[in-house]
Amino acid sequence: MNCGSPLDWGRLLAYWLGELDPDTEARTEVHYLGCAACSRRLDHLAALAREVRAVTRRSGVNLLVSDEFVRRLSEEGLQVREYRVPLNGSVNCTVAPEDDFVVARLEAQLDEVKRIDMVYLDSGGATQMRREDVPFIAQSGGVVLSARIDTLRALPATTLHLRLLAVDDSGDRILGDYTFNHTPCRSGQLEP
Amino acid sequence: MSIPDTETGSDDAALARRVCQAAPRTDAEAEAELCRRLAPRVRLYGLRHLGNEAAAADLMQQAMLLMVERMRAGALREPERLASFVFGICRMLVLDLRRGHARRERLLETYGGALLPPEAPPPVFDHERLAHCLECLPERERTVLMLTFYDELPAEVLAGELKLSPANVRVIRHRGLERLRACVTGGTE
Repeated sequence: MNCGSPLDWGRLLAYWLGELDPDTEARTEVHYLGCAACSRRLDHLAALAREVRAVTRRSGVNLLVSDEFVRRLSEEGLQVREYRVPLNGSVNCTVAPEDDFVVARLEAQLDEVKRIDMVYLDSGGATQMRREDVPFIAQSGGVVLSARIDTLRALPATTLHLRLLAVDDSGDRILGDYTFNHTPCRSGQLEP
Repeated sequence: MSIPDTETGSDDAALARRVCQAAPRTDAEAEAELCRRLAPRVRLYGLRHLGNEAAAADLMQQAMLLMVERMRAGALREPERLASFVFGICRMLVLDLRRGHARRERLLETYGGALLPPEAPPPVFDHERLAHCLECLPERERTVLMLTFYDELPAEVLAGELKLSPANVRVIRHRGLERLRACVTGGTE
């Protein structure tokens, strides 16, 4: 069944998040209650929201996050392992069976920075992967990375190198290099 | 921005007319078909306003019963206005259910959740594919979408967390949603 004047995805999402004024919200509801096509679109959106939440909750992807997000995870009772990596420093790290999330704060001076790219380096310093234009909050003094947890659990003892680059019209400038000395956590073993 | 003021779909209206015209007898077939069509839409209304599947299921059941009862009693004068009629019922019931929330919480404390239906319906999307699609999004879009959906954060709130403007959050969110939908549905939606 088609709708002659369908509600667009932006409007449906704004509705789902409670952003509409009461009058627009009510008209949106009357519309989809009378419209099979738009109610199906809303159902699709609601399901997508639910599944994205599920993927997020099981730390199913690598994600740049905010401090508030990390705090909310802890408040919900999730086990969050946090590492603070100093500028041009390193950290010994692991992931324990009870951990739900592992986050790393990469400390850097971010004043005046317009764009940051995050680069994964191999042991020789060559670029393996570059993630462009990562979200950051200049005043926070760093970038907070939540790593996909099943990837971390599968890692052998290894050393990972990350680099933050400030990018502008004049080119790239290194903000900092960060080293993770990862050790798998075995039961009964003291964690690093 | 205008929201189309939808007349109830013609098939829905035809069914509603059959139900109304059958009174004082009942047209069971038309009533059942109308409930089959409208119940999923009422569930969405319930999810949006009550926030969980169990409460939305309660609303869905009560709204369908009340709708049929009132239609049999001749309360729906214009079948073309069925959507507004159902909207009124939903709004009233949500207020009632919210009042009953405290009582429900007390019962939950006493009996636990064993007597309730499961909270979440079966997943619609394959998690691995969804995770892959999320990984493929540009960084900002992934962060904005995932933080938005995790706590159902409005743009104003997320903008404050990420030090962006609300308008910027909406643009990033919209682009991300388009890309994610295209990826998870394989461009078939």
